[in-house]
Amino acid sequence: MDAATLALDPLRFYTVVTAIGFGLMGLVIAGLRVAVAWTPYRTWLVMLPVVFAALWLGTLGWAALVTIVSIYAFKEFAKATGLYRETLFVLVVYAAIIAMNLFAYLPYYGFFMVAPLWAVAALTLIPILLNRTAGMLQAFALSVVGVVYFAWFLAHLTYLAHAPAGLGFVIYVVLATQFNDALAFLFGKKIGRHHWTVISPNKTVEGSLFALATSIVLAFLNWGIAFPQLPWWGVLAAGVIVGVGGQIGDLTMANVKRNVGIKDFGTLLPGHGGILDRVNSLMLVAPVFFHFMGYFFGAFPG
Amino acid sequence: MSLQFDYQPFPDIDKPLREQLGQYPRVPDITLDVLRSLARWAVIGAMRAQYRIVRRGALPAGERVALLASHHSHLDTLTVLAALPEKRRRQIAALAARDYFFERLPRAIAASLFGMAVAFDRTRYTELRHWARVLEAQRAGWLLVYPSGSRKRAEAHDAILFVLAHSGWTLVPVAIRGTAEAWPAGKRLWRPFRTLEVTFGEPLATDSTRRLSDELARFWATGGAADA
Repeated sequence: MDAATLALDPLRFYTVVTAIGFGLMGLVIAGLRVAVAWTPYRTWLVMLPVVFAALWLGTLGWAALVTIVSIYAFKEFAKATGLYRETLFVLVVYAAIIAMNLFAYLPYYGFFMVAPLWAVAALTLIPILLNRTAGMLQAFALSVVGVVYFAWFLAHLTYLAHAPAGLGFVIYVVLATQFNDALAFLFGKKIGRHHWTVISPNKTVEGSLFALATSIVLAFLNWGIAFPQLPWWGVLAAGVIVGVGGQIGDLTMANVKRNVGIKDFGTLLPGHGGILDRVNSLMLVAPVFFHFMGYFFGAFPG
Repeated sequence: MSLQFDYQPFPDIDKPLREQLGQYPRVPDITLDVLRSLARWAVIGAMRAQYRIVRRGALPAGERVALLASHHSHLDTLTVLAALPEKRRRQIAALAARDYFFERLPRAIAASLFGMAVAFDRTRYTELRHWARVLEAQRAGWLLVYPSGSRKRAEAHDAILFVLAHSGWTLVPVAIRGTAEAWPAGKRLWRPFRTLEVTFGEPLATDSTRRLSDELARFWATGGAADA
C-alpha cells in the first residue's frame, strides 16, 4: 500500500500510527524504567487491539463493542451506588442501552432521539408494578442517570460512525479523549501546583490547561485525516470539545465516586480501575461532538 | 426536611473478577447468573448425551443442605449436578480448592460457570473459622462438599466435618460411582458412554465428629448400598 492510500483511509492510518506510537511508548517506558507504567501499558496492549478489531469489523462490530462497554460501565455504576440490588431497574436500563445502540446502528435518528423518553417512561412504571415506595425515588433517579449517561450519551459513539467521515470522527474522539485523560494526569503530576476542585483533588489548573491545549493541537494535527471537510473553526471546536468535555465527564464520575465513597469503579482493567474509569471522559464528549457536527455541518444521516 | 440518598456499594466492587467468581455467598450478578445458567444447561446436556446417570435414594429436604460426597474424579461435580433438579442446581455451590481452581482466571471462569464452584482456601489457617461464620449466617443454600479434600484421598478430614456438624446444616452423604473409571485422576481426557451412579443417603446425626467420619467412610465404601 502506498503512502497516498494510507493517508486517505483514517482506519488504516490510525492503526499503523497507533501500533508504531504504542511500540515507541513501550520502549520509552522500558528506557526510563518507569515500573509503575507497565501495568496500565499491558492493559492497553489488550484494549487497543479490541477497539481496532471492532472498528475493522465495521459499524456492526463497533456498535456491538459500544453496547457491551456501556452495559458493563453501567453495571459498575449500579454496583457502586447499590442500584444493582433493584434488578428490574437495571434490566430496563440494559434494554435501553441495547435499543439505543440498535437505533444508532440502523440508523433511525427519530427513534434514537426519542428513546430516552420511552426508557424513562418505562422506569416510572417499576415502582407501580412493584407496589413499593421505599428506596424507589433513589433507584428511579439513578436509573435515569443510567438511561441518559450510559445508554443515550454513549450510544452517540455508535451513531458517530455513520457520518461520511465517520471513522475519522470515532477514532479521533476515542483516542484524543484517552490521550487527553493521560496527559492531564501526567502533566498535572509533573508540574501541577494549583488544585482547583474538591471533586478530584489531584486535578490541577496546569494539568487541565495543558490537556486542553494539547487537545486543540491534536485536533489540528489530525485535521487532514480525521475531518478534512471541516473549516478551521470546526477543528478548533473539536479540540475544545475533547479538551473540556473529557475533563467534565471525568469530574462527573469522580463526583459519583466521592459521594459513594469508593476509589475506583472496578478492577477489570489493571492499572486503570473499572471500565467506567476508562470511558467516563468519553460520555460527555460523544454527544456534544455529535450534535455540534450535526448542527453545523449536517454530518449524520437518519 | 432534607432528602438524602443512602448508597450501599456492593462488597465485591474492589475484588478482581477471579475472586468475585469464587466468593460465597454469591453476590447477585445478572451477567454471571445468566452465564452460569447457560453454561450449566450446556454441560448437563453434554453429560446426559455421554453418560447414563442413575440417581438412587431420596433427595434431601430442607433449605440448608450440605452434600458430603466421595471424590474420585473431575466428573464428580458435574455428575451430582446432573442428578439434581434444576432448582437445586441453580442454588448449589461446590466447594473447590482455591489454589487449584481460582488462581488463574480461565480456570476460575470454567469452575464457577460450569461447575458452580466457590473457592475454599485449604492453605489458610483461618479458613474453617471463616466458613463456620458464613454457614451460620446463611439462611438458605445447598453446598456440595468433598470432605476428603482431594481425588486421591478416601478418608474425610475431621476438621471440615466438625465445622459442618456445628453449623446447623443438614448433612447428607453422597456416594458417586463410575466417575473414577470415566475420568481417572491424572488422565487428560474423559471416557464417554458409561453409567454413573449418584446415591443420596439419609441425613447424618451430627452429635459426634468421629461417628460422622466413620458413617461417611462406610457409606462411601459401600456406594450407599445399605442406605439407598
